[in-house]
Amino acid sequence: MKNVEIGSKAVIGNNFHAGSFTVIEDDVVIGDNVSVGNNVYIANGARIADGVKIYSSAQISIEPHDLGYKGEPTTCEIGEGTVIKELATLCRGTVGKNGSRSKSVVGKNCYIMNFSHVAHDNIIGDNVIMTNSANCGGHVVLGKHVNIGALTGIHQFVHVGDYCMVGTCIKVVKDVPPYIMVSREPSRFIGLNKVGLKRKGFSAEQIENISRAYDFIYGTEYNVSDAVEKIKSELELTEEVNNILNFISNSKRGIIR
Amino acid sequence: MKFASVSSKAKIGNNVTIKDFAVIEDDVEIGDNVEIGSNTFIGNGARIANGVKIFHGAVVSTVPQDLKYKGEPTTLEIGEGSVVREYATLNKGTTYNDKTVIGKNCLIMNYVHLAHDCIVGDNVIIANSVQFGGHVEIEDWAIIGGMVGVHQFVKIGQHSIVGFGFRVPKDVPPFITAGHDPLRFEGLNLVGLKRRGFSDEAIKSISGAYDVIYKSGLNVSDGIKKLREGNITKEVETIIKFIEGSTRGIIRGEK
Repeated sequence: MKNVEIGSKAVIGNNFHAGSFTVIEDDVVIGDNVSVGNNVYIANGARIADGVKIYSSAQISIEPHDLGYKGEPTTCEIGEGTVIKELATLCRGTVGKNGSRSKSVVGKNCYIMNFSHVAHDNIIGDNVIMTNSANCGGHVVLGKHVNIGALTGIHQFVHVGDYCMVGTCIKVVKDVPPYIMVSREPSRFIGLNKVGLKRKGFSAEQIENISRAYDFIYGTEYNVSDAVEKIKSELELTEEVNNILNFISNSKRGIIR
Repeated sequence: MKFASVSSKAKIGNNVTIKDFAVIEDDVEIGDNVEIGSNTFIGNGARIANGVKIFHGAVVSTVPQDLKYKGEPTTLEIGEGSVVREYATLNKGTTYNDKTVIGKNCLIMNYVHLAHDCIVGDNVIIANSVQFGGHVEIEDWAIIGGMVGVHQFVKIGQHSIVGFGFRVPKDVPPFITAGHDPLRFEGLNLVGLKRRGFSDEAIKSISGAYDVIYKSGLNVSDGIKKLREGNITKEVETIIKFIEGSTRGIIRGEK
Protein backbone atom coordinates (compact mmCIF):
# COMPACT_ATOMS: atom_id res chain seq x y z
CA MET A 1 0.00 0.00 0.00
CA LYS A 2 1.69 3.13 -1.30
CA ASN A 3 0.66 6.70 -0.53
CA VAL A 4 -2.22 5.66 1.73
CA GLU A 5 -3.04 7.88 4.68
CA ILE A 6 -4.61 5.95 7.59
CA GLY A 7 -5.57 7.70 10.86
CA SER A 8 -3.54 6.44 13.81
CA LYS A 9 -6.69 5.60 15.81
CA ALA A 10 -8.50 3.77 13.03
CA VAL A 11 -9.24 0.10 13.84
CA ILE A 12 -8.51 -2.06 10.84
CA GLY A 13 -9.01 -5.85 10.52
CA ASN A 14 -6.84 -8.52 8.91
CA ASN A 15 -6.11 -8.88 5.23
CA PHE A 16 -6.92 -5.25 4.45
CA HIS A 17 -5.85 -3.65 1.20
CA ALA A 18 -6.16 -0.05 0.02
CA GLY A 19 -5.12 1.50 -3.28
CA SER A 20 -3.04 4.64 -3.70
CA PHE A 21 -4.12 8.05 -2.41
CA THR A 22 -6.83 6.67 -0.19
CA VAL A 23 -7.52 8.59 3.01
CA ILE A 24 -8.93 6.92 6.14
CA GLU A 25 -9.73 9.09 9.17
CA ASP A 26 -9.38 8.29 12.88
CA ASP A 27 -12.86 7.24 14.03
CA VAL A 28 -13.15 4.38 11.56
CA VAL A 29 -13.67 0.65 12.19
CA ILE A 30 -12.96 -1.76 9.34
CA GLY A 31 -13.47 -5.56 9.51
CA ASP A 32 -11.47 -8.38 7.93
CA ASN A 33 -10.89 -9.00 4.21
CA VAL A 34 -11.93 -5.52 3.18
CA SER A 35 -10.52 -4.07 -0.01
CA VAL A 36 -10.56 -0.41 -0.84
CA GLY A 37 -9.67 1.16 -4.21
CA ASN A 38 -7.70 4.26 -5.13
CA ASN A 39 -8.59 7.79 -4.11
CA VAL A 40 -11.24 6.57 -1.67
CA TYR A 41 -12.18 8.78 1.28
CA ILE A 42 -13.38 7.01 4.42
CA ALA A 43 -14.39 9.65 6.94
CA ASN A 44 -14.97 9.59 10.70
CA GLY A 45 -17.94 7.42 11.71
CA ALA A 46 -17.48 4.68 9.11
CA ARG A 47 -18.20 1.17 10.45
CA ILE A 48 -17.32 -1.26 7.70
CA ALA A 49 -18.03 -4.98 8.22
CA ASP A 50 -16.07 -7.99 6.90
CA GLY A 51 -15.67 -8.62 3.18
CA VAL A 52 -16.80 -5.21 1.97
CA LYS A 53 -15.35 -4.00 -1.35
CA ILE A 54 -15.06 -0.32 -2.10
CA TYR A 55 -13.94 0.88 -5.53
CA SER A 56 -12.08 3.99 -6.73
CA SER A 57 -13.06 7.44 -5.58
CA ALA A 58 -16.04 6.34 -3.50
CA GLN A 59 -16.66 8.45 -0.39
CA ILE A 60 -17.88 6.77 2.76
CA SER A 61 -19.40 8.38 5.86
CA ILE A 62 -19.10 11.92 4.57
CA GLU A 63 -20.82 14.80 6.33
CA PRO A 64 -24.56 14.73 5.86
CA HIS A 65 -26.01 17.07 3.27
CA ASP A 66 -28.10 18.72 5.92
CA LEU A 67 -27.89 22.36 6.99
CA GLY A 68 -28.78 21.40 10.58
CA TYR A 69 -25.71 19.19 11.01
CA LYS A 70 -23.09 20.76 13.25
CA GLY A 71 -20.42 18.09 13.32
CA GLU A 72 -21.99 15.74 15.90
CA PRO A 73 -20.38 12.26 16.00
CA THR A 74 -22.65 9.96 13.98
CA THR A 75 -21.96 6.79 12.00
CA CYS A 76 -22.36 5.14 8.63
CA GLU A 77 -22.59 1.33 8.87
CA ILE A 78 -21.93 -0.98 5.95
CA GLY A 79 -22.92 -4.65 6.24
CA GLU A 80 -20.93 -7.75 5.36
CA GLY A 81 -20.14 -8.49 1.74
CA THR A 82 -21.53 -5.25 0.36
CA VAL A 83 -19.93 -3.79 -2.78
CA ILE A 84 -19.66 -0.04 -3.29
CA LYS A 85 -18.66 1.01 -6.78
CA GLU A 86 -16.84 4.04 -8.12
CA LEU A 87 -17.72 7.56 -7.02
CA ALA A 88 -20.68 6.50 -4.90
CA THR A 89 -21.21 8.79 -1.89
CA LEU A 90 -22.56 7.60 1.45
CA CYS A 91 -23.45 10.12 4.18
CA ARG A 92 -23.47 9.45 7.90
CA GLY A 93 -26.49 10.19 10.13
CA THR A 94 -27.72 13.35 11.82
CA VAL A 95 -28.93 13.96 15.40
CA GLY A 96 -31.64 15.95 17.12
CA LYS A 97 -34.15 16.24 14.32
CA ASN A 98 -37.44 14.58 13.52
CA GLY A 99 -36.34 11.41 11.74
CA SER A 100 -32.72 11.53 12.91
CA ARG A 101 -31.22 8.12 13.56
CA SER A 102 -27.64 9.28 14.26
CA LYS A 103 -26.59 6.71 11.68
CA SER A 104 -27.02 5.61 8.10
CA VAL A 105 -27.08 1.87 7.53
CA VAL A 106 -26.38 -0.18 4.42
CA GLY A 107 -27.26 -3.87 4.90
CA LYS A 108 -25.44 -7.05 3.93
CA ASN A 109 -24.59 -8.07 0.36
CA CYS A 110 -25.84 -4.85 -1.16
CA TYR A 111 -24.56 -3.59 -4.49
CA ILE A 112 -24.29 0.18 -4.63
CA MET A 113 -23.31 1.12 -8.18
CA ASN A 114 -21.48 4.11 -9.65
CA PHE A 115 -22.52 7.63 -8.61
CA SER A 116 -25.25 6.38 -6.31
CA HIS A 117 -25.96 8.48 -3.25
CA VAL A 118 -27.00 7.16 0.15
CA ALA A 119 -28.11 10.16 2.20
CA HIS A 120 -28.12 10.86 5.94
CA ASP A 121 -30.23 8.60 8.19
CA ASN A 122 -31.01 6.14 5.39
CA ILE A 123 -31.70 2.52 6.28
CA ILE A 124 -30.91 0.27 3.35
CA GLY A 125 -31.92 -3.38 3.83
CA ASP A 126 -29.95 -6.51 2.92
CA ASN A 127 -29.35 -7.54 -0.72
CA VAL A 128 -30.42 -4.18 -2.11
CA ILE A 129 -29.18 -3.17 -5.56
CA MET A 130 -28.90 0.54 -6.28
CA THR A 131 -28.10 1.03 -9.97
CA ASN A 132 -26.00 3.88 -11.33
CA SER A 133 -26.87 7.39 -10.20
CA ALA A 134 -29.74 6.23 -7.98
CA ASN A 135 -30.13 9.02 -5.45
CA CYS A 136 -31.82 8.77 -2.06
CA GLY A 137 -32.97 11.76 -0.04
CA GLY A 138 -32.52 11.86 3.73
CA HIS A 139 -34.32 9.41 6.09
CA VAL A 140 -35.22 7.05 3.24
CA VAL A 141 -35.83 3.40 4.15
CA LEU A 142 -35.36 0.64 1.56
CA GLY A 143 -36.52 -2.88 2.47
CA LYS A 144 -34.57 -6.04 1.73
CA HIS A 145 -34.02 -7.23 -1.87
CA VAL A 146 -35.08 -3.86 -3.29
CA ASN A 147 -33.78 -2.96 -6.75
CA ILE A 148 -33.58 0.74 -7.69
CA GLY A 149 -33.16 1.61 -11.40
CA ALA A 150 -30.55 3.96 -12.80
CA LEU A 151 -31.00 7.75 -12.49
CA THR A 152 -33.97 7.34 -10.17
CA GLY A 153 -34.50 9.79 -7.35
CA ILE A 154 -36.13 8.80 -4.06
CA HIS A 155 -37.73 11.70 -2.14
CA GLN A 156 -36.73 12.22 1.47
CA PHE A 157 -38.64 10.18 4.11
CA VAL A 158 -39.96 7.72 1.51
CA HIS A 159 -40.15 4.04 2.46
CA VAL A 160 -39.80 1.31 -0.15
CA GLY A 161 -41.08 -2.16 0.84
CA ASP A 162 -39.26 -5.48 0.57
CA TYR A 163 -38.70 -7.09 -2.87
CA CYS A 164 -39.71 -3.99 -4.84
CA MET A 165 -38.34 -3.13 -8.26
CA VAL A 166 -38.21 0.62 -8.86
CA GLY A 167 -37.84 1.64 -12.52
CA THR A 168 -35.24 3.68 -14.35
CA CYS A 169 -35.28 7.49 -14.60
CA ILE A 170 -38.26 8.08 -12.33
CA LYS A 171 -38.93 10.02 -9.18
CA VAL A 172 -40.48 8.33 -6.19
CA VAL A 173 -42.31 10.78 -3.93
CA LYS A 174 -44.62 8.41 -2.04
CA ASP A 175 -44.14 5.13 -0.23
CA VAL A 176 -43.88 1.97 -2.33
CA PRO A 177 -45.56 -1.08 -0.76
CA PRO A 178 -43.71 -4.41 -0.87
CA TYR A 179 -43.40 -6.95 -3.74
CA ILE A 180 -44.27 -4.61 -6.61
CA MET A 181 -42.77 -2.83 -9.61
CA VAL A 182 -42.99 0.94 -9.97
CA SER A 183 -42.41 3.04 -13.06
CA ARG A 184 -43.86 5.82 -15.26
CA GLU A 185 -44.36 9.50 -14.61
CA PRO A 186 -45.85 10.18 -12.09
CA SER A 187 -44.54 6.95 -10.65
CA ARG A 188 -47.19 4.29 -10.17
CA PHE A 189 -47.88 0.59 -9.63
CA ILE A 190 -47.21 -1.41 -12.80
CA GLY A 191 -47.58 -4.94 -11.46
CA LEU A 192 -45.94 -7.41 -9.13
CA ASN A 193 -42.18 -7.98 -9.22
CA LYS A 194 -42.93 -11.54 -10.33
CA VAL A 195 -39.51 -12.37 -11.73
CA GLY A 196 -37.84 -11.15 -8.54
CA LEU A 197 -40.26 -13.04 -6.31
CA LYS A 198 -39.81 -16.31 -8.24
CA ARG A 199 -36.04 -15.94 -8.12
CA LYS A 200 -36.19 -15.43 -4.37
CA GLY A 201 -38.18 -18.68 -3.98
CA PHE A 202 -41.72 -17.43 -3.46
CA SER A 203 -44.24 -20.17 -4.33
CA ALA A 204 -46.96 -19.68 -6.93
CA GLU A 205 -49.49 -19.67 -4.11
CA GLN A 206 -47.72 -16.89 -2.21
CA ILE A 207 -47.51 -14.81 -5.37
CA GLU A 208 -51.21 -15.43 -6.02
CA ASN A 209 -52.06 -14.14 -2.51
CA ILE A 210 -49.99 -11.01 -3.06
CA SER A 211 -51.62 -10.51 -6.44
CA ARG A 212 -55.13 -10.77 -4.93
CA ALA A 213 -54.29 -8.19 -2.27
CA TYR A 214 -53.01 -5.73 -4.88
CA ASP A 215 -56.10 -6.36 -7.02
CA PHE A 216 -58.09 -4.80 -4.19
CA ILE A 217 -55.68 -1.90 -3.73
CA TYR A 218 -54.98 -0.98 -7.34
CA GLY A 219 -57.42 -2.95 -9.48
CA THR A 220 -60.72 -1.66 -8.07
CA GLU A 221 -62.49 1.62 -7.43
CA TYR A 222 -61.85 1.39 -3.67
CA ASN A 223 -59.68 4.02 -2.02
CA VAL A 224 -56.75 2.63 -0.04
CA SER A 225 -58.44 2.45 3.37
CA ASP A 226 -61.54 0.75 1.94
CA ALA A 227 -59.34 -1.68 0.02
CA VAL A 228 -57.50 -2.53 3.26
CA GLU A 229 -60.85 -3.27 4.96
CA LYS A 230 -61.88 -5.45 2.01
CA ILE A 231 -58.59 -7.37 2.16
CA LYS A 232 -59.03 -7.96 5.88
CA SER A 233 -62.56 -9.27 5.41
CA GLU A 234 -62.14 -11.28 2.21
CA LEU A 235 -58.58 -12.61 2.01
CA GLU A 236 -56.63 -15.10 4.03
CA LEU A 237 -54.14 -13.03 6.04
CA THR A 238 -50.94 -14.81 5.09
CA GLU A 239 -47.55 -13.46 6.08
CA GLU A 240 -47.16 -11.61 2.79
CA VAL A 241 -50.62 -10.05 2.96
CA ASN A 242 -49.94 -8.96 6.53
CA ASN A 243 -46.68 -7.39 5.41
CA ILE A 244 -48.56 -5.36 2.83
CA LEU A 245 -51.21 -4.27 5.35
CA ASN A 246 -48.61 -3.35 7.97
CA PHE A 247 -46.64 -1.38 5.44
CA ILE A 248 -49.72 0.57 4.40
CA SER A 249 -50.82 1.28 7.97
CA ASN A 250 -47.32 2.52 8.88
CA SER A 251 -47.01 4.72 5.79
CA LYS A 252 -46.89 8.40 6.66
CA ARG A 253 -46.52 9.79 3.16
CA GLY A 254 -49.24 7.57 1.64
CA ILE A 255 -48.59 4.94 -0.99
CA ILE A 256 -48.13 5.44 -4.72
CA ARG A 257 -51.13 5.20 -7.01
CA MET B 1 3.40 13.01 -13.02
CA LYS B 2 5.46 13.19 -9.85
CA PHE B 3 2.83 11.38 -7.77
CA ALA B 4 1.27 9.15 -10.41
CA SER B 5 1.36 5.43 -9.71
CA VAL B 6 2.15 3.73 -13.02
CA SER B 7 2.83 0.00 -13.21
CA SER B 8 6.15 -0.93 -14.79
CA LYS B 9 4.35 -3.66 -16.78
CA ALA B 10 1.97 -1.25 -18.51
CA LYS B 11 2.78 -0.61 -22.19
CA ILE B 12 2.80 3.11 -22.74
CA GLY B 13 3.39 4.82 -26.11
CA ASN B 14 5.34 7.96 -27.01
CA ASN B 15 4.48 11.46 -25.91
CA VAL B 16 1.96 10.34 -23.28
CA THR B 17 1.08 12.85 -20.52
CA ILE B 18 0.14 11.38 -17.17
CA LYS B 19 -0.88 13.84 -14.46
CA ASP B 20 -0.54 13.54 -10.67
CA PHE B 21 -2.36 10.83 -8.67
CA ALA B 22 -3.32 8.86 -11.75
CA VAL B 23 -3.16 5.10 -11.17
CA ILE B 24 -2.30 2.80 -14.08
CA GLU B 25 -2.40 -0.97 -13.49
CA ASP B 26 -0.37 -3.79 -15.05
CA ASP B 27 -2.36 -5.09 -18.01
CA VAL B 28 -2.78 -1.74 -19.76
CA GLU B 29 -1.83 -0.65 -23.28
CA ILE B 30 -1.73 3.04 -24.10
CA GLY B 31 -0.95 4.43 -27.59
CA ASP B 32 0.90 7.58 -28.60
CA ASN B 33 -0.04 11.18 -27.80
CA VAL B 34 -2.49 10.18 -25.08
CA GLU B 35 -3.37 12.52 -22.19
CA ILE B 36 -4.29 11.00 -18.84
CA GLY B 37 -5.72 13.53 -16.33
CA SER B 38 -5.09 13.74 -12.62
CA ASN B 39 -6.77 11.26 -10.24
CA THR B 40 -7.78 8.96 -13.06
CA PHE B 41 -7.80 5.19 -12.66
CA ILE B 42 -6.83 3.02 -15.63
CA GLY B 43 -7.46 -0.60 -14.66
CA ASN B 44 -6.32 -3.93 -16.04
CA GLY B 45 -7.69 -4.61 -19.52
CA ALA B 46 -7.59 -1.04 -20.80
CA ARG B 47 -6.56 -0.73 -24.48
CA ILE B 48 -6.29 2.95 -25.25
CA ALA B 49 -5.53 4.00 -28.85
CA ASN B 50 -3.54 7.00 -30.10
CA GLY B 51 -4.63 10.52 -29.32
CA VAL B 52 -7.20 9.66 -26.65
CA LYS B 53 -7.80 12.25 -23.91
CA ILE B 54 -8.96 11.20 -20.47
CA PHE B 55 -9.87 13.92 -17.97
CA HIS B 56 -9.68 14.26 -14.19
CA GLY B 57 -11.15 11.49 -12.06
CA ALA B 58 -12.35 9.25 -14.87
CA VAL B 59 -12.39 5.54 -14.06
CA VAL B 60 -11.45 3.46 -17.08
CA SER B 61 -11.60 -0.31 -17.44
CA THR B 62 -12.92 -1.20 -14.06
CA VAL B 63 -14.67 -4.38 -12.91
CA PRO B 64 -18.07 -4.86 -14.59
CA GLN B 65 -21.16 -4.32 -12.45
CA ASP B 66 -22.38 -7.82 -13.05
CA LEU B 67 -22.85 -10.31 -10.22
CA LYS B 68 -21.79 -13.17 -12.53
CA TYR B 69 -18.36 -11.68 -13.20
CA LYS B 70 -15.65 -13.64 -11.40
CA GLY B 71 -12.51 -11.77 -12.44
CA GLU B 72 -11.99 -13.20 -15.92
CA PRO B 73 -9.49 -11.23 -18.03
CA THR B 74 -11.57 -8.99 -20.30
CA THR B 75 -10.84 -5.66 -21.97
CA LEU B 76 -12.06 -2.16 -22.58
CA GLU B 77 -11.02 -0.63 -25.92
CA ILE B 78 -11.06 3.09 -26.64
CA GLY B 79 -10.60 4.12 -30.29
CA GLU B 80 -8.35 6.83 -31.70
CA GLY B 81 -9.09 10.42 -30.82
CA SER B 82 -11.91 9.71 -28.37
CA VAL B 83 -12.37 11.96 -25.34
CA VAL B 84 -13.49 10.76 -21.91
CA ARG B 85 -14.48 13.61 -19.59
CA GLU B 86 -14.42 13.96 -15.80
CA TYR B 87 -15.75 11.18 -13.56
CA ALA B 88 -17.00 8.99 -16.37
CA THR B 89 -16.83 5.29 -15.44
CA LEU B 90 -16.17 2.74 -18.14
CA ASN B 91 -16.52 -0.95 -17.30
CA LYS B 92 -14.66 -3.70 -19.09
CA GLY B 93 -16.51 -6.66 -20.61
CA THR B 94 -17.74 -9.90 -19.09
CA THR B 95 -17.35 -13.33 -20.67
CA TYR B 96 -20.53 -12.55 -22.67
CA ASN B 97 -18.52 -10.50 -25.17
CA ASP B 98 -15.06 -10.35 -23.54
CA LYS B 99 -14.83 -6.64 -24.24
CA THR B 100 -16.44 -3.24 -24.06
CA VAL B 101 -15.64 -1.07 -27.08
CA ILE B 102 -15.68 2.66 -27.74
CA GLY B 103 -15.04 3.67 -31.36
CA LYS B 104 -13.01 6.51 -32.83
CA ASN B 105 -13.56 10.20 -32.16
CA CYS B 106 -16.30 9.69 -29.59
CA LEU B 107 -17.05 12.23 -26.86
CA ILE B 108 -18.05 10.76 -23.51
CA MET B 109 -19.05 13.59 -21.17
CA ASN B 110 -19.05 13.99 -17.35
CA TYR B 111 -20.48 11.26 -15.11
CA VAL B 112 -21.37 8.93 -17.96
CA HIS B 113 -21.45 5.26 -17.07
CA LEU B 114 -20.67 2.83 -19.87
CA ALA B 115 -21.48 -0.67 -18.69
CA HIS B 116 -19.98 -4.07 -19.46
CA ASP B 117 -20.06 -5.39 -23.05
CA CYS B 118 -21.38 -2.14 -24.55
CA ILE B 119 -20.33 -1.52 -28.16
CA VAL B 120 -20.15 2.15 -29.11
CA GLY B 121 -19.50 3.06 -32.77
CA ASP B 122 -17.43 5.93 -34.17
CA ASN B 123 -18.19 9.65 -33.77
CA VAL B 124 -20.78 9.03 -31.06
CA ILE B 125 -21.59 11.80 -28.55
CA ILE B 126 -22.84 10.83 -25.12
CA ALA B 127 -23.88 13.80 -22.94
CA ASN B 128 -23.60 14.22 -19.17
CA SER B 129 -24.81 11.57 -16.71
CA VAL B 130 -26.07 9.12 -19.32
CA GLN B 131 -26.27 5.67 -17.76
CA PHE B 132 -26.06 2.54 -19.85
CA GLY B 133 -27.11 -0.94 -18.89
CA GLY B 134 -24.93 -3.83 -20.01
CA HIS B 135 -24.70 -5.08 -23.63
CA VAL B 136 -25.99 -1.85 -25.18
CA GLU B 137 -25.02 -1.17 -28.81
CA ILE B 138 -24.73 2.37 -30.17
CA GLU B 139 -24.05 2.75 -33.89
CA ASP B 140 -21.94 5.44 -35.59
CA TRP B 141 -22.85 9.13 -35.29
CA ALA B 142 -25.60 8.61 -32.72
CA ILE B 143 -26.10 11.30 -30.07
CA ILE B 144 -27.50 10.59 -26.61
CA GLY B 145 -28.85 13.59 -24.65
CA GLY B 146 -27.97 14.27 -21.02
CA MET B 147 -29.44 12.28 -18.10
CA VAL B 148 -30.75 9.52 -20.34
CA GLY B 149 -31.02 5.98 -18.98
CA VAL B 150 -30.56 3.17 -21.50
CA HIS B 151 -31.93 -0.27 -20.62
CA GLN B 152 -29.64 -3.25 -20.96
CA PHE B 153 -29.45 -4.96 -24.41
CA VAL B 154 -30.90 -1.91 -26.19
CA LYS B 155 -29.59 -0.92 -29.66
CA ILE B 156 -29.50 2.64 -30.93
CA GLY B 157 -29.20 3.06 -34.72
CA GLN B 158 -26.76 5.20 -36.66
CA HIS B 159 -27.34 8.97 -36.92
CA SER B 160 -30.16 8.88 -34.37
CA ILE B 161 -30.65 11.31 -31.49
CA VAL B 162 -32.23 10.53 -28.13
CA GLY B 163 -33.53 13.66 -26.36
CA PHE B 164 -32.55 14.90 -22.91
CA GLY B 165 -33.75 13.11 -19.80
CA PHE B 166 -35.63 10.17 -21.32
CA ARG B 167 -35.35 6.47 -20.71
CA VAL B 168 -34.71 4.11 -23.55
CA PRO B 169 -36.37 0.74 -22.94
CA LYS B 170 -36.56 -0.38 -26.62
CA ASP B 171 -34.41 -0.16 -29.73
CA VAL B 172 -34.17 3.19 -31.53
CA PRO B 173 -33.94 2.68 -35.31
CA PRO B 174 -31.43 4.68 -37.39
CA PHE B 175 -31.67 8.28 -38.71
CA ILE B 176 -34.39 9.51 -36.31
CA THR B 177 -34.96 11.66 -33.24
CA ALA B 178 -36.59 10.01 -30.25
CA GLY B 179 -38.21 11.70 -27.26
CA HIS B 180 -41.16 11.70 -24.83
CA ASP B 181 -42.06 9.27 -22.12
CA PRO B 182 -42.62 6.48 -23.03
CA LEU B 183 -39.97 7.03 -25.69
CA ARG B 184 -41.33 7.39 -29.24
CA PHE B 185 -40.42 8.38 -32.79
CA GLU B 186 -40.47 12.14 -33.27
CA GLY B 187 -39.28 12.56 -36.86
CA LEU B 188 -36.02 12.32 -38.75
CA ASN B 189 -32.73 13.73 -37.51
CA LEU B 190 -32.80 16.12 -40.48
CA VAL B 191 -30.16 18.52 -39.19
CA GLY B 192 -27.72 15.70 -38.48
CA LEU B 193 -28.32 13.98 -41.82
CA LYS B 194 -27.80 17.21 -43.77
CA ARG B 195 -24.63 18.05 -41.84
CA ARG B 196 -23.21 14.65 -42.70
CA GLY B 197 -23.90 15.09 -46.41
CA PHE B 198 -26.97 12.91 -47.00
CA SER B 199 -28.57 13.87 -50.33
CA ASP B 200 -32.16 15.10 -50.52
CA GLU B 201 -33.11 11.85 -52.24
CA ALA B 202 -31.59 9.74 -49.49
CA ILE B 203 -33.47 11.76 -46.87
CA LYS B 204 -36.67 11.43 -48.89
CA SER B 205 -36.30 7.64 -49.02
CA ILE B 206 -35.70 7.50 -45.26
CA SER B 207 -38.74 9.68 -44.66
CA GLY B 208 -40.85 7.45 -46.91
CA ALA B 209 -39.72 4.34 -45.07
CA TYR B 210 -40.65 5.76 -41.66
CA ASP B 211 -44.02 6.91 -43.03
CA VAL B 212 -44.70 3.25 -43.77
CA ILE B 213 -43.42 2.03 -40.42
CA TYR B 214 -44.94 4.63 -38.12
CA LYS B 215 -47.76 6.40 -39.99
CA SER B 216 -49.43 3.87 -42.28
CA GLY B 217 -51.33 2.00 -39.57
CA LEU B 218 -49.48 -1.22 -40.39
CA ASN B 219 -47.73 -3.10 -37.63
CA VAL B 220 -43.94 -3.28 -37.82
CA SER B 221 -43.62 -6.65 -39.58
CA ASP B 222 -46.27 -5.75 -42.18
CA GLY B 223 -44.52 -2.40 -42.62
CA ILE B 224 -41.26 -4.17 -43.38
CA LYS B 225 -43.02 -6.40 -45.94
CA LYS B 226 -44.38 -3.32 -47.66
CA LEU B 227 -40.94 -1.66 -47.66
CA ARG B 228 -39.47 -4.74 -49.30
CA GLU B 229 -41.97 -4.39 -52.15
CA GLY B 230 -40.88 -0.82 -52.93
CA ASN B 231 -37.60 0.79 -54.00
CA ILE B 232 -34.89 -0.24 -51.53
CA THR B 233 -32.13 2.37 -51.27
CA LYS B 234 -29.01 1.88 -49.16
CA GLU B 235 -30.59 3.80 -46.30
CA VAL B 236 -33.85 1.84 -46.42
CA GLU B 237 -31.86 -1.39 -46.43
CA THR B 238 -30.11 -0.14 -43.27
CA ILE B 239 -33.46 0.55 -41.61
CA ILE B 240 -34.88 -2.86 -42.59
CA LYS B 241 -31.80 -4.69 -41.36
CA PHE B 242 -31.87 -2.81 -38.05
CA ILE B 243 -35.51 -3.59 -37.41
CA GLU B 244 -35.16 -7.24 -38.40
CA GLY B 245 -32.15 -7.57 -36.12
CA SER B 246 -33.92 -5.95 -33.19
CA THR B 247 -34.50 -8.36 -30.32
CA ARG B 248 -36.26 -5.96 -27.94
CA GLY B 249 -38.53 -4.42 -30.60
CA ILE B 250 -38.38 -0.81 -31.73
CA ILE B 251 -39.87 2.27 -30.07
CA ARG B 252 -43.39 3.28 -31.05
CA GLY B 253 -44.57 5.99 -33.43
CA GLU B 254 -46.11 9.37 -32.71
CA LYS B 255 -49.41 9.48 -30.88
